[in-house]
Amino acid sequence: MSEQIQESVSVATGETLVEINDLKTYYDDGAILDSNPVKAVDGVNFDIKRGETLGLVGESGCGKTTLGRTLIQLEDATDGEVLFDGTDVTELSGTELKNWRRNSQMVFQDPESSLNDRMTVGEIIREPLDVHAWNTPQERRERVRELLDVVGLRPEHYYRYPHQFSGGQRQRIGIARALALEPEFVVLDEPVSALDVSVQAQILNLLEDLQDEFGLTYLFIAHDLSVVRHICDRVAVMYLGHVMELGDSEELFDNPKNPYTHSLLSAIPEPDPTANKERITLRGTPPSPRDPPKGCPFTTRCPMKIRPEKYQNMDADLWVAIEVFREVLRERARAEKTLTEIAKEKLGMDTRFSSIGEIRTELFAELDVPSEVREHIDTAATYVANNEEAKAREYLGEEFGSICDSETPAHHVVSDTGRASTCHRHLAEYDEPDEFTPYTER
Amino acid sequence: MSGVNDDADASLVERIRETPQPAMRWLAGALALFVLEAGAVVNAVTGLFGSPVDIPTLLSRDVIPNNGYQTPAGVWEETFLGLSAGQAWAFRVVLIYLYAFIVAWWVWRGYLVFRKHYRHADWTPRDDMVDRLRGHRWGQFGAIIVFMFVVMALFAPALGPTTVERTISDPYSYHVEYYEDGELQNTTVGQANLGSRSQGNPDRNVGPMQYDDFGRFHPFGTIPSGKDMFTFMAAGARVSLFIGLVSIGISGFIAAAFALLTAYYKGLVDLVVVITGDSIMSLPRLLFVMLLSVVLGGSWISSIYNGGFLLALIFAGTGWPFLWRSVRGPAFQVAEQEWIDAAKSFGQKPRVTMQKHMAPYILGYLLVYASMSLGGIIVAVAGLSFLGLGISPPTPEWGRAIDMGQAYVTTSSWHISFIPGVMIVLVVTAFNALGDGIRDAVDPQSEGGDTSTEATAGTGGGA
Ligand code: SF4
Repeated sequence: MSEQIQESVSVATGETLVEINDLKTYYDDGAILDSNPVKAVDGVNFDIKRGETLGLVGESGCGKTTLGRTLIQLEDATDGEVLFDGTDVTELSGTELKNWRRNSQMVFQDPESSLNDRMTVGEIIREPLDVHAWNTPQERRERVRELLDVVGLRPEHYYRYPHQFSGGQRQRIGIARALALEPEFVVLDEPVSALDVSVQAQILNLLEDLQDEFGLTYLFIAHDLSVVRHICDRVAVMYLGHVMELGDSEELFDNPKNPYTHSLLSAIPEPDPTANKERITLRGTPPSPRDPPKGCPFTTRCPMKIRPEKYQNMDADLWVAIEVFREVLRERARAEKTLTEIAKEKLGMDTRFSSIGEIRTELFAELDVPSEVREHIDTAATYVANNEEAKAREYLGEEFGSICDSETPAHHVVSDTGRASTCHRHLAEYDEPDEFTPYTER
Repeated sequence: MSGVNDDADASLVERIRETPQPAMRWLAGALALFVLEAGAVVNAVTGLFGSPVDIPTLLSRDVIPNNGYQTPAGVWEETFLGLSAGQAWAFRVVLIYLYAFIVAWWVWRGYLVFRKHYRHADWTPRDDMVDRLRGHRWGQFGAIIVFMFVVMALFAPALGPTTVERTISDPYSYHVEYYEDGELQNTTVGQANLGSRSQGNPDRNVGPMQYDDFGRFHPFGTIPSGKDMFTFMAAGARVSLFIGLVSIGISGFIAAAFALLTAYYKGLVDLVVVITGDSIMSLPRLLFVMLLSVVLGGSWISSIYNGGFLLALIFAGTGWPFLWRSVRGPAFQVAEQEWIDAAKSFGQKPRVTMQKHMAPYILGYLLVYASMSLGGIIVAVAGLSFLGLGISPPTPEWGRAIDMGQAYVTTSSWHISFIPGVMIVLVVTAFNALGDGIRDAVDPQSEGGDTSTEATAGTGGGA
């Protein structure tokens, strides 16, 4: 163990350990039917520096776990590269892959599910050592006892079974297993989200201690933002398979730049109730990753979306109503028609028309809609009534769409520390997101 | 627990060396039990390499003979201690079963000794399963009947009042002695059998627990050809068990392998197996089995074990999809566990992952369904023999006994169909009961198993 202590690296040397270039991971689960793949990770670029803790946050289903799993090669990347110390690990296979696996390990989310209940704790922690034929069996057993000690368990727990431990202790066992092969890089997949709040802090402290002691590099996946702020050096915010903002943790939390980060952060209950921060409520749910929107991934829900020139001064409520209207049409295209609906349509019973009428009334009845806008909405509604929904969406897109709907935003460096945000609003001709009041707030 | 740290990793041998007494005591008992039957083992082993060596075995028919004759004075000659043929036979049967139960109990004790003195872990998840099985009366009932059935098959040559060779396959090469008209007569077994036929006529019937005219005792009576039915049944148990175990063994292996492979790799592999399995399952099984046994009846395989091996293969080939279906769900469930990902993340081989991290979780289910379908196979084999397919006569088989007695069901020879019928029902029920017991032990959440085990455990707490 003395050797490792000497090796101990101070936090974040600035040297890149993992470099992720345009990484894509698509799932093709319904392989028989030719459906769109799930674009869980859809073109991600960033670096992870040696010795740092990089947080990866986002709503559930945003692809953060898939990204973590792709980094340690539990999923096959569809495209792009993951350079680990300069080696593209997505290309590795066979013995090379097996040898590389020693370098990167994972701590899983659910300690109930991550340990095989039929094996003793000793066998569980020893398995990686056995797989890589690490030293002699005697030394392996000693190493396991050492690891038990390192993670705060007792050596005589070797012959106990996972059933005999609490959730927090089980997570310690999982951590010991991840550390057995002395990896450099550890993916922590929501390591405390399944634990009691009282135990969470202990595990987080343990993880921090281990990082200092062994010079580990962490990718910390979480949806609990307060935990991330506490433990991470830098944070990447993910939405729908894309990284929306990435930068220094404190800075990002105090002064978010990207509209999505704004919305996400405003959802955290403020620890200090006197701090009068505006709260943005995100409407709707994220679009399906099988069918992501064109342009900016956040375009369907963005409360700061760029408007076309001619609607610059439109009433905010009306603008939101139009956005919702467009989203409803999008959603309907995704939802499969039931057989009865198809039958009714064929019989001319016009289910679509009646429902589009209702939606329109609900959205626009109480608003003061200028005649020009009303005309556009009517045209779109007529298309829908004629079962030409695609045309309706196209029409609305042309009329009310902007750069957010048509062009994928680039990464913009938004601070001196090199923070990057993905949004068109960082272009010179538009208002910066943090200078812009969201429509929903007006 | 103070010594634990010093030698916690000592191997089993080292641990036994350290505290040898319990192990030695157990071993002494095991050795003593073995010596009693050593002759049979030596005989069987040497039989594999040529002519079998005969060593007196305590529980053999040579040591406790029941074939003898009664003098006009009523004295029995040539039987064990001059007991009557029936008593001598009963004595031997009781001894054999006693022996078998003691062996079983000793093995169980061995497990307890290991658990108490030599195992590292104070507790394992399997202990809970064993404890649940210990409190499961219905399962135990099944286990006992199944055990008796297995003993019957295993000790068949020693259990019958006579042997298959003597009375069924080669009756004219053996002789019986008996007193008639005050004189000791000698005739062939074949001749004697003609005089002990059971053919529905009160004058021509040897029922259960009766002697025939030649002083031979028939615990289950005789079959229409005059041969001893108990001998027939004991030998038939061997055949049934052989076919059942071999076919379940093969189909269980196929089912487990496919379930693990499809759950681990999913996708196309799964699809192929699903289609194959479903097409086999969609065939009318019994018809298909009959067809196969007719078609393959002439091939060389059908000469192995009088067609028993062929039947076992046919049942395995048509039966694995049913077993596979029942473990596929559990296998997919285990495959979703994060410890499978963990194993993958440090580069464990897929084969080892399946073996170590998945197989233990489906084994219990496999055992449950295997034990339940074993009964079905025994019935099916009996059914085939009943129809004159499958096992070639004159090899004893339970279904053939039922078939032979069918014409006499309403006559005084009712026992010929009745006894095998009852035994089949009993054995099949027992296998199902055992399956229930295992299921409740492996998976206490399933179908109210928890409450019932708890209730029975409460009443039988001291067991
Ligand atoms: S590019 Fe447009 S839609 Fe996307 S976050 Fe920026 S303002 Fe919102």
